[in-house]
Amino acid sequence: MATEPSSAENHRVVESLAARLRRRQVVGSRETALETVFVLRQVVSKARFSNIDQLVEIIRSVGRKLVEAQPKEYTVGNTVRKVLHHIREEYHTASQGTTASSTPKPSFSIAKFVSQGQPRKQATPQKTSHETRGMLKENNPDDPDAFARTLKPVLMEAIQDVFDELETVYDNISKNAKDHIHSDEIILTIGKSSTVEAFLKSAAPYRKYTAIVADTAPSYSGQEMAQSLSSAGISTVLVPDSSIYALMSRINKVILGAHAILANGGMFAITGSLLVATAARAHSTPVVVCAGQFKLTPQWNLYHEYGALDFADPSSVLGFEEGDLVDKVDVVNPFYDYVRPEMIDAYVTNDGDHPPSSVYRLIKEAYDDEDYEL
Amino acid sequence: MSTTTETVTQMVTPTASLKLSTSSIALPQPSCSSQSQMQALSSARASAQSQASSNSISPAAPAHAKSAIYSANANFQRNTKLNDANTIPNPNSDPNTNLNAPKSQKQMTKAERREQQEAQRAAKATAKTTASQSGTSSSKPTSTHKQSASVSGKGAAYPSAATPKKPGKGQDWKPAKGETKEGAYPHLQMDETPRGLRIFSHFGAPKPPAVTKGDIHPAIIRLGLQFAAFKITGANARCIAMLTAFKTVIQDYVTPPNNTLSRHLMVQLSPQITHLVSARPMSVTMGNAIRQMKLEISGSDIDLPEQDAKNALCDTIDNYIRDRILLADQVIQETAGSKIKDGDVILTYARSSVVEKVLLHSWADGKRFSVIIVDSRPMLEGKALLKSLTAASIPCTYLLLPSLPSVLPHTTTLFVGAHSLHANGAVFSRAGTAMVAMMAKSRSIPVVVCCETYKFAEGIRWDGVSKNELAPTPFPPSSTSNSSSQHNLAIKMNPNLSMLSPLYDLTPPSCITAVVTEVGIIPPSSISSIPGALGRVTIGA
Amino acid sequence: MDLNRALKIPDDVPSNSLDIWTTYQTILRKEEISTPLAAVLALTELVERSDAGTMFELVKALNDGAKVLNARTPNPIGLNAGCELFIAFVTLFPHDSDSFSDLKRELVKQGQKYATEAITYREKIAELALGFIKDDSVILTHSYSRVVMKTLLRAHERKRISVYVTEARPRGLGLRTYDELTAAGIPCTVVLDSAVSYVMDKVDFVLVGSEAVVESGGLINAVGSNQIAIIAKAANIPFYALAESYKFHRLFPLSQYDLPTHNPGILAFPLTSASSSPISLQNNNPSIRTANENASRPEQSRSMTHEQIACNPDVDYTRPDLITLVFSDVGSLTPEGVSQYLVGMFAG
Repeated sequence: MATEPSSAENHRVVESLAARLRRRQVVGSRETALETVFVLRQVVSKARFSNIDQLVEIIRSVGRKLVEAQPKEYTVGNTVRKVLHHIREEYHTASQGTTASSTPKPSFSIAKFVSQGQPRKQATPQKTSHETRGMLKENNPDDPDAFARTLKPVLMEAIQDVFDELETVYDNISKNAKDHIHSDEIILTIGKSSTVEAFLKSAAPYRKYTAIVADTAPSYSGQEMAQSLSSAGISTVLVPDSSIYALMSRINKVILGAHAILANGGMFAITGSLLVATAARAHSTPVVVCAGQFKLTPQWNLYHEYGALDFADPSSVLGFEEGDLVDKVDVVNPFYDYVRPEMIDAYVTNDGDHPPSSVYRLIKEAYDDEDYEL
Repeated sequence: MSTTTETVTQMVTPTASLKLSTSSIALPQPSCSSQSQMQALSSARASAQSQASSNSISPAAPAHAKSAIYSANANFQRNTKLNDANTIPNPNSDPNTNLNAPKSQKQMTKAERREQQEAQRAAKATAKTTASQSGTSSSKPTSTHKQSASVSGKGAAYPSAATPKKPGKGQDWKPAKGETKEGAYPHLQMDETPRGLRIFSHFGAPKPPAVTKGDIHPAIIRLGLQFAAFKITGANARCIAMLTAFKTVIQDYVTPPNNTLSRHLMVQLSPQITHLVSARPMSVTMGNAIRQMKLEISGSDIDLPEQDAKNALCDTIDNYIRDRILLADQVIQETAGSKIKDGDVILTYARSSVVEKVLLHSWADGKRFSVIIVDSRPMLEGKALLKSLTAASIPCTYLLLPSLPSVLPHTTTLFVGAHSLHANGAVFSRAGTAMVAMMAKSRSIPVVVCCETYKFAEGIRWDGVSKNELAPTPFPPSSTSNSSSQHNLAIKMNPNLSMLSPLYDLTPPSCITAVVTEVGIIPPSSISSIPGALGRVTIGA
Repeated sequence: MDLNRALKIPDDVPSNSLDIWTTYQTILRKEEISTPLAAVLALTELVERSDAGTMFELVKALNDGAKVLNARTPNPIGLNAGCELFIAFVTLFPHDSDSFSDLKRELVKQGQKYATEAITYREKIAELALGFIKDDSVILTHSYSRVVMKTLLRAHERKRISVYVTEARPRGLGLRTYDELTAAGIPCTVVLDSAVSYVMDKVDFVLVGSEAVVESGGLINAVGSNQIAIIAKAANIPFYALAESYKFHRLFPLSQYDLPTHNPGILAFPLTSASSSPISLQNNNPSIRTANENASRPEQSRSMTHEQIACNPDVDYTRPDLITLVFSDVGSLTPEGVSQYLVGMFAG
């Protein structure tokens, strides 16, 4: 296989993205997700396979490679899982005609009965008009590519669906912004999340409100955020991180972005989020998280407070100007905070608003169980 | 605008023409969005006043007053246009107008003078963009500009020259509601001022020391400049510096004939205090010390020779510094030190002089522990503490506030200092302290506040917004900390963007485990029951 | 197969009139069989021996059997969970087969198959929980639980852990945990049930087993679990529960006193206050003496009488809001997730 030109090309595409991920040249969750979809689309279009298992394995191996390159960028894995899920769905729809007759009598066991409790997607009405029905034959010995040939157009459609979802994610998150932000409210946010930025801006034409942005050390990305919001006509106040608690009693709502949403309803988010969320809790101020569903990550055990942290460059905290101090002092500068689910009131996603307790159900619906480990 | 005019008109009742000026003062200030509007109103008031006084009993007075106000209104609109073009508004002038208003005779000339001044300043500022000036009254360019203006001796014409008699002594500053924002957002119509800014508008903004008026002692002038430039910071340091300067003032004081020291010295000191307050809002510690000093002065023996009385006063001041601050700190060092054990990991926030002493003292005592210093803008004072602790070779970890959660699992105890302590046990301290205390509390880490009893402030506070002060340079563009950051953008001002940087916040008593004072370790709520916390016990006795 | 042998009923029992209670007891003797599984197996046996000719009769027989078991055990919660599961399964089993005896045979096969599978669930849970145990963790556990033991021993293979275990009076099962963990080389200290709040700040998380996981998302476990959960919540320490899926029980306790195990005898005050008060006075007298005297006679430590213990509950109920996560063989679940799962299982 490796000698075939198509596979070599696939290999190159994958390696190129992996390298860029490793060097952190691709940043931003949505950007990464989009890049991953591009690569998968190319891989699938070039791949040779004669049954679904081969295809799944090809996609998984690509996924593993990319995830390995940057394990902290959870959206890569999530996107791969999502694509797998869509592909399986398409496959099942397409193959229904052929396999229905030979379906073995469903084995009913107590274990199966128990597993009925698993959350599942509401049964969607099957699409009926598929020309592929009845033509899908796996492992055709005469024509090994026949399966791939028949299925590929459908697969491309499936991948396109994932792509479209990513394309419109900000619009869909923001479409209800004006229902969440009311007139004369004071909203607090930290750092610069493109999702939150889009969300706040889309409410601006309807609501006259004030955004308070904490500058969020050590990246001080809040300054950029404040700049962007204010130039969009939103009355914006830039404050240092230290003032968050003092101002909290006047703030109506905290809106945060997320890096990854975990299955228990907690999330990883920019350093400082835990501080803000805790201060908000102390004042009973609602904490709303805006995030696309591609950030849903089917993992629970990521939150070893220290172990899961990814540490950034210490020099942004204590510059080299401090000279001799730098050698004597330990500097701590993590990228992300883990925020417990009880700190969060709601997730505003591109597919509705959800409480943290529903996240695990969303994850069950979005991905297939067997893909949790790629 | 029309609302304001209506309010004014309603107030001018036919029978109360003489009270016109006073009722004008009662105008709802928050609705004024522009400085020039204030000015227009005050001139209106002045002209109305002059008319009213010229024929004070005439029943026609109301009509005059009304017309004067209407003309002022027109005047205002003209002024607004001017302002929109290029005026640098002065945030300090408005409350002055406001407070000076009762002295009606002076009003007119002052208003004229100010108009003239305004024109000069406008001309001077054409080079600068309106945007960079209007962002916030506390933005650096504005304040340096003002400072240079005042230092270079143009002070006589400077609007705030007419330093008002402060109503209500002991107040930290003179917050007329809506004080800061009037200057800050000249382009905004009153009803458009965002609520987010309005509700924080009472924060005291840093300002250059008012121009010397009357006999301000050189030592006080110097101190005022140091306060304003944040060269001397910290509740203890400022209090000691002030008392030391007062000693010089007292020594240089000569009682005028036909007067007694006990009566007249305070008259002499009052403007000095006012001057200091105009440089930077008074700290609670300073207020408490001044109250004590007044008590001493008024109680000083009339029969004592002047020099002896002055010496006695200086001794009392020395004793106050020694007993209430220095000795207190020593006791706190011992007491708090007893709570540090070998192997502890001590967390602290920013830099408190007392905490610094506690840590250094414990280390010198042979205790072996490490320190985590959490720091944040606007002041980044933790770096100074870091330097001093590493110089003593105490192992240190340094991080910025948002990273705090990652070190909490390793922390044993949190030590913080305080600006003041309130009757309900709430601690007013450097902004950020409340958050560190809250996080520590959530992890069951003991929160220990080191605080001398003279920092006790009467009254109860609920949150950090009710009273606060703004930092001088909220977002230093060339800060060392972000020089390597990719986000190191110079902040481009635009009309919608403003900055707010409170210096303090309030830690609720629920987040505090203990307060270490010179009388021992007490729960935060017990501070009010300590005799002498307010200086009720005679000092030095 | 071990299990099948365990199922074999003593020969003296008449084959048709199965003594379900004895069967249940025999099955339960096996170390790794917990009460819900034993109940499933006992009912399976009942199906095998049943002469029911219709589904209706069979279900009735099963319900009767469950009733007998329920009546004879003082703590029927786990058992009920097992009976409930099996009976629901039988009721919903697609019975389009031609002969009813074939169906019964199939049911027996399924019951036994499930029991065999279910034995491996603890392994599965241990594997799942492992991801949450970081190196150098300090864990607090309560009493003795087989699934917790399995998890701790599994964690010990890969990571350094140390364990505090409560004594868990009155049965003192914590000591058994202590013995087994120490034998495995895991640093372990027994703490008094009354010292839980003292130890809490030293702990990274709490790990308990369960008798049953109920529809509210809450937990029924050896008495003391609730107070541990409350203390953990107050200290912001995660509280994890381990529960095999056969312990999922359709029960919604509104309070401690709404549990099926609660009876008027629990927490009752002595009826004859006149006769008991002199005794208590006498008992109190020594303690009035100075502390020194008491300290000099530590061997005189006193313990509760059987009657006093009888006034105490065996299990208590832990509210869902106190539980961080429930690990089960069907995955990690939030308490809300457990609740949704149960609804999906029995109402779906």
